[in-house]
Amino acid sequence: MTAPALELRGLSKKFPIRVGGRLLPRYAEHVAVDGVSLVVPTNRIVGLVGESGSGKTTTGLMAMRLIEPTSGQILIDGKDISRLGHAELKPFRRQMQVVFQDSYSALDPMMTLAQIVAEPLHIHGLMTARAQTEAALGWLERVGLDRSYGQRYPHELSGGQRQRVAIARALILRPSVLVADEPTSALDVSVKAQIINLLQDLQEEMGLSILFISHDLSVVRSLTDTVVVMHRGRVVEQAPTEAIFLESRHPYTRSLLDAIPVLHPRDRRRRTFQSAETIATGIPRLSARDLAAPAMPSATPQLVTVTPDHRVEAIVTA
Amino acid sequence: MILYILRRLVSIAVTFFVVSVLVFLMMHSVPGGPFDGNDMPLSAAVRAKLMAQLGLDQPLHVQYFNYMAGVLRLDFGVPYQSPGETVIGLLSRAWLPSLVLGGLGVLIGAPIGILLGMAAALKRNSWMDYLASGLATLGLTVPVFVISMGLILIFAVWLNWLPASGWGKPERWILPIIAFAAIPLATYARYTRSAMLDTLNKPFVTVLRAKGLSERRIIFQHVLRNSAIPMVTVFLPMFIGTATGSIFVEAMFRVPGLGSYFVSSIQSRDYPLEMALVLMVTLMFCFAYLISDILYALLNPRIRTGGRR
Amino acid sequence: MNLVDISELTVSFRQHEGLVQAVRGISLRVDAGESVGIVGESGSGKSVTCMAMLRLLREPPARITAGKFEIAGTDILRADNRTLASLRGRVAAMVFQDPMTAFDPVFTIGHQIIETIRTHRNVSKAEARAEAESLLRRVEIKQAKDVLGYYPHQLSGGMLQRAMIAMALSCRPQILLADEPTTALDVTIQAQILQLIKELQAEFGMSLIMVTHDLGVIAETVDRVVVMYGGRVMEQGPVEAIFDDPRHPYTQALLRSIPGHAGGRRRLTEIKGASPNPANPPTGCPFHPRCAAAESACRESMPVMVAVGARHDAACWRLQ
Repeated sequence: MTAPALELRGLSKKFPIRVGGRLLPRYAEHVAVDGVSLVVPTNRIVGLVGESGSGKTTTGLMAMRLIEPTSGQILIDGKDISRLGHAELKPFRRQMQVVFQDSYSALDPMMTLAQIVAEPLHIHGLMTARAQTEAALGWLERVGLDRSYGQRYPHELSGGQRQRVAIARALILRPSVLVADEPTSALDVSVKAQIINLLQDLQEEMGLSILFISHDLSVVRSLTDTVVVMHRGRVVEQAPTEAIFLESRHPYTRSLLDAIPVLHPRDRRRRTFQSAETIATGIPRLSARDLAAPAMPSATPQLVTVTPDHRVEAIVTA
Repeated sequence: MILYILRRLVSIAVTFFVVSVLVFLMMHSVPGGPFDGNDMPLSAAVRAKLMAQLGLDQPLHVQYFNYMAGVLRLDFGVPYQSPGETVIGLLSRAWLPSLVLGGLGVLIGAPIGILLGMAAALKRNSWMDYLASGLATLGLTVPVFVISMGLILIFAVWLNWLPASGWGKPERWILPIIAFAAIPLATYARYTRSAMLDTLNKPFVTVLRAKGLSERRIIFQHVLRNSAIPMVTVFLPMFIGTATGSIFVEAMFRVPGLGSYFVSSIQSRDYPLEMALVLMVTLMFCFAYLISDILYALLNPRIRTGGRR
Repeated sequence: MNLVDISELTVSFRQHEGLVQAVRGISLRVDAGESVGIVGESGSGKSVTCMAMLRLLREPPARITAGKFEIAGTDILRADNRTLASLRGRVAAMVFQDPMTAFDPVFTIGHQIIETIRTHRNVSKAEARAEAESLLRRVEIKQAKDVLGYYPHQLSGGMLQRAMIAMALSCRPQILLADEPTTALDVTIQAQILQLIKELQAEFGMSLIMVTHDLGVIAETVDRVVVMYGGRVMEQGPVEAIFDDPRHPYTQALLRSIPGHAGGRRRLTEIKGASPNPANPPTGCPFHPRCAAAESACRESMPVMVAVGARHDAACWRLQ
């Protein structure tokens, strides 16, 4: 069995936060990400979904070593990169790239698009200057922009075009792993589909492995192979995409699915919304005997394996 | 908050110490001494005796500790240039003109600047805006002594309306007060204009309009209050800066204020006076900034009430 | 009676590049109690239209013209500031996109709701306070009394949006304008806010104008849809007709591009190209550069609206 393109093992991030104290500030540990483990197999797209504050973005940034994890391991092709220093990390940086939601602030306004796309080649000292520019223009074409765009500047582009440039820049080094953090959230409906399709095509052509972070479940459904649901810093459910949509087990996953807007006015319904308390009390109770992998009975919820590829946070009984 | 203030007080103490050492060293490392002036030739013996009397023959660090020991007892010594009184006595006398002229300058200049800035922000790109911006630019770019000279030339020399210089009768105050007011006026005009424009562009102002609030109420209750937070916090440091006297303005108008003593104490190597002035101004600025920061925290609900509930 | 009666509305902005036409001659009528969705992408002119209805755009640089521009019988275009102020918040109230920046940070939530009530209604502070509290309770804020004393930064986005809705309802408006009221919120909160708005609309008997880029929001909330593109209305009609039988190629393409609920990984149907640049709009129909069915007439002039069904109109040369 080959190692997955990206694997996170027990990744955690804690921040100190002020919890009050008008006279003397008191600090508590805020656990933004709490022991997240997930696998992005080679040539697959994994969706990481959750709401703001779920820790999904922090997880994505830690996977890229753009934020230092408090504990846990990050494995790229089976090699642990979580403790590597700056210099040792550099070769791995070529293999992992990221695309953000707000591509406008991620593109240097003073650089032409050709320079922006060629920059990673420049940083890693690959190719001659001429070859770098040629490669950049080639990539602009590949993401659906004319070569003439090479001489333009970011402010001349629409949101969708900027996102194409961001994707070209991320992929020019031919990484094996791409983290895409809400890349379509700021885009118009008609353009969103273009970017999703572009990601699909490039993923298939290049055999890319993508961690796709999003709150948009409809997009996740049409793009990803597997979905990981995060809630309050923890993974609460993880399964093949269709299993999440059809047989989700966790109350939080179900509340997310229930909130998806209807596609047609005739499907309108009155919803009853779950509070944080009903989600907490609705965590499934499973007997250890029914699980696909052994788990210790415990009153505290743990992530258990219900079928070989479906894991859910549950309370395990004897 | 208390912890924060304590931390700041410690940092003020450190600043005070560092400034005192630096100034003391610099003062003494400049060539020359209090009795080297050419207008007062002294025999070597007399000079040595005077130096011994003032303790200036001792090693520098001993002098420093002696001096600082005095400072901690609020004894700043005796100014060389006026041995009949203490430094404290001289300063408390010199304070008054600076405080009156500089203080009035700020108290008059700042409100006018605020009004100008407000008018400029509310009537953007009107003649009012250009006037305010023009005045602000003039006030900040033209040196004070040029302004002072201009004032003297126009009102004292040509129009002969006001006395050119001196201290005492209130009519002598008018021109220096105007000179002192220039910088606060210009600073506040610019500051108010940009703070107001900044607030006016905030989305919540549109929401207030959409609620049907009158423009007057939006400006005077909401926009002004939001813009005031940064404006309040620059006031105290500016007040200290102006009210401790300006060397140029006091020299131009021959006002016997603190600023003029700054010059004379350096010129005549009047070590005790020089130290006292520097330490006093340092301390006042430190406290002005501390109080401003506390005010900022108190005025800003985001800091006052802490995080989310 | 039409509460909103607008015809030939144009809104242009004076900018460096010259005059930018954001809204290029639209007509809009909204009945009392009706809920209308204005759907469009960025640059379609939907938000500008919404802001123009309460004259909330800075004029200049904005310039508004209209054949007719009436809200509840008041001529908005010729109204003086006092008339406009008494209309805003009382006859027509607005809920904005980003609740985090919509409140004045230095005043409490209570202050800001009470201030709205007392601007339009002659009630005492105590009465206004009691009313504000009951409104907060109505928008399902627990501990309404405490929330009155909170500053905006102490509440979450969802709570603030509820408070903003309470504030908008405080003077019992006849029209509620909601400009992307859920875009800045989390998915589960979005659904809650939409449901709340729908309920309150029925309860208060208000007209609702819901401005959004999200067809899901439209499918969830409104009775009638106005589809805007490039500053013009492309199609309008009852919400079922728009979803079942869209007649304009743009509406059809937009509906096809929704990711949908089908299972399995697949390519989405995309609309080629990008939204038109308002500073340099295409000639004729603004959609023609992206339209698969474009003909030469589409490049030359804008087609007029024609009836394609009951209260269902579209502006496309193929339908003339």
